[in-house]
Amino acid sequence: MSDAPARKARPVKLNIIDQPVDAYKGGPSSLCPGCGHDQISSVIIKAAWENGIEPHRIAKMSGIGCSSKTPAYYLGQSHGFNTVHGRMPSVTTGAAAVNGELTYLGVSGDGDSASIGIGQLIHAIRRNLDMVYIVENNGVYGLTKGQYSATAEVGSKKKKGRPNEQQPIDLCALAINLGCTFVARSFSGSKKQLTALLKAAMAHKGFALIDVISPCVTFNNNDESYRSYGYVKENEVTLHMPDYIPQRMPVEEVEVPEGHFVDITLHDGSTIRLETIDAEHDPSNAVAALSALHKADSEDHHVTGLLYFDGTQPTMHEALNLPETALIDLEVSDLRPSPEALEEVIAAFRDG
Amino acid sequence: MRSVGPFGDLKEAPRGSDMDSIVNDFTINIATANGTGSQSANLILLQSLFNMGIEVSGKNLFPSNISGLPTWYIVRLSDAGYQAPGDRTHIQILVNPATWEDDLAQLEPGSVVIWNTNAKKPMEREDVISYPVPMTKMARGVNAKLARMITNVIYVGVLAEMLGIDEAAVVEAIGKQFKGKASAIELNTTAFHLGRDHAREHFTKADPYTVEARGSNKGRFFMEGNEATALGSIFGGVQMLAWYPITPSSSVAEGIIAWIPNLRTNDDGEATCAVVQAEDELSAAGMVIGAGWAGARGMTATSGPGISLMQEFIGLAYFAEVPSVFWDVNRVGPSTGLPTRTQQSDLQMLYEGSHGDTQHIVLIPGTVEECFEFGWRAFDVAERFQTPVFGLSDLDLGMNRWASEGFTYPDAPMDRGKVIRERDIFEAMEDFGRYRDVDGDGIPYRTLPGSGMAPILYRGTGHDPYGVYSEKAHVYLDLMQRLRRKIDGARDHLPAPIIREEEECDVGIIYFGSMENTIQEIDDIVEAKGRKVSQCRVRSLPLHSDIEAFCERHKTVIVLEINRDGQLWGIMRRELPNHLVNRVHSVAYSDGMPPRASIYADLIMKTIEEVEA
Repeated sequence: MSDAPARKARPVKLNIIDQPVDAYKGGPSSLCPGCGHDQISSVIIKAAWENGIEPHRIAKMSGIGCSSKTPAYYLGQSHGFNTVHGRMPSVTTGAAAVNGELTYLGVSGDGDSASIGIGQLIHAIRRNLDMVYIVENNGVYGLTKGQYSATAEVGSKKKKGRPNEQQPIDLCALAINLGCTFVARSFSGSKKQLTALLKAAMAHKGFALIDVISPCVTFNNNDESYRSYGYVKENEVTLHMPDYIPQRMPVEEVEVPEGHFVDITLHDGSTIRLETIDAEHDPSNAVAALSALHKADSEDHHVTGLLYFDGTQPTMHEALNLPETALIDLEVSDLRPSPEALEEVIAAFRDG
Repeated sequence: MRSVGPFGDLKEAPRGSDMDSIVNDFTINIATANGTGSQSANLILLQSLFNMGIEVSGKNLFPSNISGLPTWYIVRLSDAGYQAPGDRTHIQILVNPATWEDDLAQLEPGSVVIWNTNAKKPMEREDVISYPVPMTKMARGVNAKLARMITNVIYVGVLAEMLGIDEAAVVEAIGKQFKGKASAIELNTTAFHLGRDHAREHFTKADPYTVEARGSNKGRFFMEGNEATALGSIFGGVQMLAWYPITPSSSVAEGIIAWIPNLRTNDDGEATCAVVQAEDELSAAGMVIGAGWAGARGMTATSGPGISLMQEFIGLAYFAEVPSVFWDVNRVGPSTGLPTRTQQSDLQMLYEGSHGDTQHIVLIPGTVEECFEFGWRAFDVAERFQTPVFGLSDLDLGMNRWASEGFTYPDAPMDRGKVIRERDIFEAMEDFGRYRDVDGDGIPYRTLPGSGMAPILYRGTGHDPYGVYSEKAHVYLDLMQRLRRKIDGARDHLPAPIIREEEECDVGIIYFGSMENTIQEIDDIVEAKGRKVSQCRVRSLPLHSDIEAFCERHKTVIVLEINRDGQLWGIMRRELPNHLVNRVHSVAYSDGMPPRASIYADLIMKTIEEVEA
């Protein structure tokens, strides 16, 4: 991005569909300099480019808040909808029902997802809506200048005023309990891990929640805050180093020695490979995932990585019994029954 | 007339032949308890009379309850075709002990009472014509387990005998009600015969009410407004239905769901309309907007409380210009109100829904035929004007059965509006901007997600003609003025008012929606009192230009509404030119009951007198 003018021109690197990374970029960010959200935006650009998704076949969805402004900063060739506060899941549900061929990429915040929109989030998970749902979680309301959100820990302190006294909501624990089919936690500063998780989430068929701890540099970056850069860097427990292996890449190219990883195959044949640093975690085990979250919580740590995965559940689209062709592409003749059909209906009413 | 007490001496009752008959012009009120199967018995009665070619209408006054609370069904026979419940009950069926005293107390002397002697309630009125029937005991004799349900068909049998309803008409009606269920048909036919035989053996006709066959229902059938709205939506090509259950609108959504297998399923057995039962009305609205944004025809059906919850999203759809269809089957408000009663009190909320300056298109059917027509047309209007479109029905129109002659197939191809799906057309356009007013009609062009053509981030924040965020004063001002121009331009594209004008052009009545079913009776009463009034039924908002012309032609204009505040009147006062404002007066009344003609006629006469004083 910051190419020096003197540098020699190099051939532009293209992805598998011959697109440069620039095709996935957006406008300049208007967030505070150093905001964790901007790092997530750059990961989104990288992941979409590396996955080789046609940029215009992605739909960017968001609600309201700092995080929800970010779709303007990535994927400029994609249509998007910056909806209303906490209601992005329902708008995505309607769009996905009539056009399931797009990759729906939702970005939300902790206010948007854990407070005003928690109901919509829960029901989108319940329907296994086929979308990626990123929570850019900083524990505060940024745009309204630093009020506590529902994910702030007890004892969290603002620069002024009383510390937070209410229990936080752990969105990953909530999602696992709801049977969410892909649940991960990451940190905006862990670019490699987040990229792998996001690429796998995009390949997953179903609801993929990634709760990303994303420090607010303006309102929540004092070192005692659990969501400050300093705190997370010091207290992050990585369950595993994930790597994403697209379907087209032979598995043997991956460098991790056999026996030190678990592979999770996604619907399209691609794989998310988890290098087992903490060897025991089995992402198909909801109880183990919840235990890992509780253990980390009791030790004031964050646990990151792919916490839970279930590739067997039908998506909302599959459950609705819809045609292969997106409903928006159907012909008028498929949508409006014939005059004879109307006559038959009326005749049935007449004749009982 | 004289009374016949409980189990009284029937031999002394006057014989029917001794008095003048009243034919096909009376009202039957049936008082039962909810959840006892009385609805099917009442529909059999209604259908039987209809099968005889008689002009008949039925009103279901039901409680917000599944089982046990009182419910009434009013059947009105009227050769004049009046469909409102009449001013009084002529024949009372008393089955429900819970409302016994009140129901009896409301009867005028000389009314007929057919009552269940097993209800353990006394017959305390001596000035009514009494037909006591041991309904429960008789029903137990047929089937002890199903006695409560059978009881209801027994009174149909008694009525058939006393009024002279053709047996063949009843048998046909039972067949229709329990289509294909042989045991139910048999059971109900047996109970019907029991009631009829009991009346034949025990009663001598002591009342003047009789029915005579007429030829008026050939080719006609009964349908509920909500069924018609659902069918219209199916023929309008609905692609996404998102809904949350709420009385009195649920049967719109359930109707669509029921028709999908026959009418909207492809050769592979897949549905061409997605249906999602949402977690609440907010979500339902969001889904409709998501579908519209993606390029599909999305709709929801709800009632006033649901529209209240959808306000935020309605503003988004207006501002971001997303086609979307919302049906409001109006019930009594405010708040939870009277959930199973009817009213026209959501008009203003629909027209000006959501915060900020907004204005919405509202289509207002007054008949089942229009429920069908506006059902499909709403999508054309929404896509043409890229905005939320409301259908405003009400509980009376939506949940009662109305006679219809049939529906007209959509007379125009689908109007998908200014949506660009082909790249060559897109590329031929110069300087594309999602919100640029290229044609001067305020309606911009749009491209769809996934198309790769002129992608933008749709937003509820201020935006320039290219969809880019802007807080600039002139950008906001231009946007708001264009939106006003766009909706304003819809006026004469929307269904025009139906006008029935008197030569005198003295008093003009403006009304809307289900009042259509009462207006002729009101008109006749007013005319009998010496005033000829013209009628103008508003069928859409914003107001069609014909409405202003109607006001211009009439000395006095009365706006008639089933609400307290005169909502349409308020809209007219604000939008009519100044010189017309003072000639427009409000008659607004609502007690939750379906409109009764005499109440409105009296209020109209009073208003005319006040204006002319």
